[in-house]
Amino acid sequence: MGRHVGIVGVGQTHHSRRRTDVSQAGLVREAVDRALVDAKLTIEDIDSVVVASGPVLFAAVNQPEKWVVDAIGAALKPLVRVTSGGGTGLAGALAGYYQVAGGFADRVLVVAYDKLSEGALQYSISTLYDPFWGREFAVGIMGFSAAYWRARMDVLGHTEEAAAMVAVKNRHNAMNNPYAHVKKEVTVEEVLNSKPLAWPIKLLDVPPISDGAAAVVLSTEKLAAQSTDRPAWIHGMGYFCEADNAAARSLLVSEPLAIAARRVYRSAGITNPRRQFDVVEVQEPYTCFELSYYESLGLCAPGEAAELIRSGATSLNGDIPVNPSGGCAGANPIGAAGLIRLIEAASQVMGKAAGNQIPNARLALAQSGGGWANLRGVAVLGA
Amino acid sequence: MLPIPDTSPIDMAPLKSDLSMPYTLTPGRAAGAFLAELGQRRIVGSRFKKSGKVVVPAQDFCPLSGDSEFELVEAPATGTLTAYTETAAGLIVLIRIDGSDVDFAHRLIDASLDELSIGARVEAVWAEGIENSILAIAGFRLAPDAPVGSIRPLQDPVPALEVIPYRLDLHYEHAFGPYYGRLFDEIKTQRRIMGVRTPDGEGALLPPREICDVTHRPTGTWVEVKQTGTVRAMSIINLEFVGQKQAPPYIYAEIMLDGALTRLIHTVAGFDMNRAKELVKPGTRVRAVWRDTQTGSLDDISHFELIDADTK
Repeated sequence: MGRHVGIVGVGQTHHSRRRTDVSQAGLVREAVDRALVDAKLTIEDIDSVVVASGPVLFAAVNQPEKWVVDAIGAALKPLVRVTSGGGTGLAGALAGYYQVAGGFADRVLVVAYDKLSEGALQYSISTLYDPFWGREFAVGIMGFSAAYWRARMDVLGHTEEAAAMVAVKNRHNAMNNPYAHVKKEVTVEEVLNSKPLAWPIKLLDVPPISDGAAAVVLSTEKLAAQSTDRPAWIHGMGYFCEADNAAARSLLVSEPLAIAARRVYRSAGITNPRRQFDVVEVQEPYTCFELSYYESLGLCAPGEAAELIRSGATSLNGDIPVNPSGGCAGANPIGAAGLIRLIEAASQVMGKAAGNQIPNARLALAQSGGGWANLRGVAVLGA
Repeated sequence: MLPIPDTSPIDMAPLKSDLSMPYTLTPGRAAGAFLAELGQRRIVGSRFKKSGKVVVPAQDFCPLSGDSEFELVEAPATGTLTAYTETAAGLIVLIRIDGSDVDFAHRLIDASLDELSIGARVEAVWAEGIENSILAIAGFRLAPDAPVGSIRPLQDPVPALEVIPYRLDLHYEHAFGPYYGRLFDEIKTQRRIMGVRTPDGEGALLPPREICDVTHRPTGTWVEVKQTGTVRAMSIINLEFVGQKQAPPYIYAEIMLDGALTRLIHTVAGFDMNRAKELVKPGTRVRAVWRDTQTGSLDDISHFELIDADTK
């Protein structure tokens, strides 16, 4: 085992549909400044930097880490870029975590961002398809995600109504999140009657398209006290994949997520996730994914997700609140989304959630993922 | 099992794939001001408060200190050559504008390579009819007698540009390789869909591949899969987006062809789309319908039609 690693500072931009006042680099700077202030540090105190951003086709700047170096003030420090589609933010944090745990750096700054207002989103995402085999039918990943939700309906009972309840819950929670930019409560009927985009996915099952950035400072145990007396300790973090088009791939329960969760739970001493976790943050690119994640993360058994949301257990006052921040429904700068989930989970156990603080939260779970559902990861954080 | 004896590269021209992506880029405060002022035929830099460094063209962050506090300044249109090379696009040079602490790249015009030397004096040549682009400066030309200019406060700035339209046109040529080569050659010439058997021989992997994803062992012999199959997952596409290949509404379907263990992505059609939810479900049986054209791509299959469904 490596050294203990704590999250000692967090920062995110006030996300929005379109920021015309800053460039991508300016967006990065805002999140970095906020995380460093939160950690009571300056960039001089940082040993190493990880830049995480989505596919370059999102914003037309290839190798953007060379551009944002000046904005971070990272000149002459170790710096790498990490990218993994929707899971970019968590993958970036994982790269930083390894550096501190492994003894390469005592403090790492991880900054993740995307400025989605600049490009053609679904077109860009569609290029993750094999150009020979299916790309002509790609609708970003929305068509694909909707198709397997349709399959899960029959096998696992993930109904349109259950997914609509996810939208209702997350949009309600986002009302109190100062960083979210979609603040409008909806009803189950409104979700069910909203415009079909890739049925069963409808407009209100879909998160916004956002410009935003997020940053964290990871620290050794020894230096953490200089920043905070209440770090969020990383009890485990993992990111797993499954084959793209293999014979064994079911896509009904997310196998890489289930594997990541079981592996990280074991190292973090989690035997009953529903009972042990005080709060969960999942990256739900569409409402249907939150239902699927309940099952892969072991919050309920396969086939019980619809009942879990219906019971209110994942609401703010339920026994296992999921996405008190509002999740992606409040803001979805894709490359940053995984890191935002980690920040929201960390803020809960640090006792300083900006929006809906879950009382006495001591143990939190964060989930993120990318690819076409074949890259999935989790982090377990403790007070 | 022996490696596949009948797999060798088939002489197919690479698959041409063209992407044409529109963008609306946001330059930020400094670059937005720089681009706007080019329309006024002024070159703008930023002077950083902490370090006093001057950066031309203007940038939001000091490349030397990371400082973000700056004032916009007007730079002269003269400078010196700090590096140069000759390319197919002409002479590309690095220029340090008088008073700037950094260099930037541009063209050198009206000169030949052997006339250039490091330290040579240059001046900007403005382009006709180009306003808010770095190409508003057509290039720099040698100006041995140009006096050394100085940095001045920027008077009466025009509003900075906030959005710059942009487009990336990307042209790729993807090699088929022996497996995709044979697959699409058979589709084109025989109207057969060929997979390869898994190492244990149970069913076919489609598209065919050299190594099994699950066992990591070499795959087996070629096998034709049926042109009928079962819908595994489906959605009804109403969303319209840039780069879309067909007009909504249509069905996105992941289909397991009979004999295959993996999915083929295509569309199911041939009925009233208002009945799509009812007629196409996981488990629905479908059959490939071929086009008259033979291009050697999945597009040679027009769509999949329903088998035995009452579509009346």
